[in-house]
Amino acid sequence: MVALEGLRPWLLQRLTAVYLLIYTIYIVIYWSFINDLGYVSWRNWISSDINQILLGLFYLTLLIHAWVGIRDVLLDYIKPFLLRLMLLFSVALFLIGSGFWLIKILIMVNA
Amino acid sequence: MSSTSRPVYLNLIKIKLPISGIISIFHRLSGVLLFLAIPFSLYLLQLSLKDIASYESVTSLMLKPVSRFFILLVIWSFIHHLLTGVRFLLIDLDLFLEKQSVRSSAWGVVVVEVVIMSFIIVGIFL
Repeated sequence: MVALEGLRPWLLQRLTAVYLLIYTIYIVIYWSFINDLGYVSWRNWISSDINQILLGLFYLTLLIHAWVGIRDVLLDYIKPFLLRLMLLFSVALFLIGSGFWLIKILIMVNA
Repeated sequence: MSSTSRPVYLNLIKIKLPISGIISIFHRLSGVLLFLAIPFSLYLLQLSLKDIASYESVTSLMLKPVSRFFILLVIWSFIHHLLTGVRFLLIDLDLFLEKQSVRSSAWGVVVVEVVIMSFIIVGIFL
């Protein structure tokens, strides 16, 4: 099992990367056809059901992707155990907090 | 024990990196920058959706030279991270594995990146 230890984060990183790429292509293509962007059309667009779901999935995959990536960076460069643990914990809280923030924004849009 | 015997430390200054190594380091650096940009993206998203006055404060904020610098930095990070990431995904699919194509795909990334960034800089500043 030791040999398989790194496989799950490795796979997770690539699967989330694929969604992030697809969403980016969707946004770039969609918005390159829109030349007049005002508050009302922007808010209407983002608050449609499908775009709320796609945006929610974007941030979900982004936060997972960021977690695996930053975790790798910290494991490579931070050696002292306690410091490493504290930094990993801070990053986790930072990302979970970001997730709650997005939920708050989506609730605001639906109000 | 297996986790401590693997090579986890490299002295980057002493190593002369090939182009694929350089873009790889910048993949990591841009990833950290994008991580730090997450709360700013949420802040701007929230402000742009709150009401019309806050929406206009976002658009006027984006016109300031200081914020343009950071916007360009984040856009560059995003494009570099995405292009090098796609290259890594293709390498995972066993493409670009020969020595020559490792090098040329790395240069390909740099060329595409410079072209896209030039268009964006022209679009933002002209």
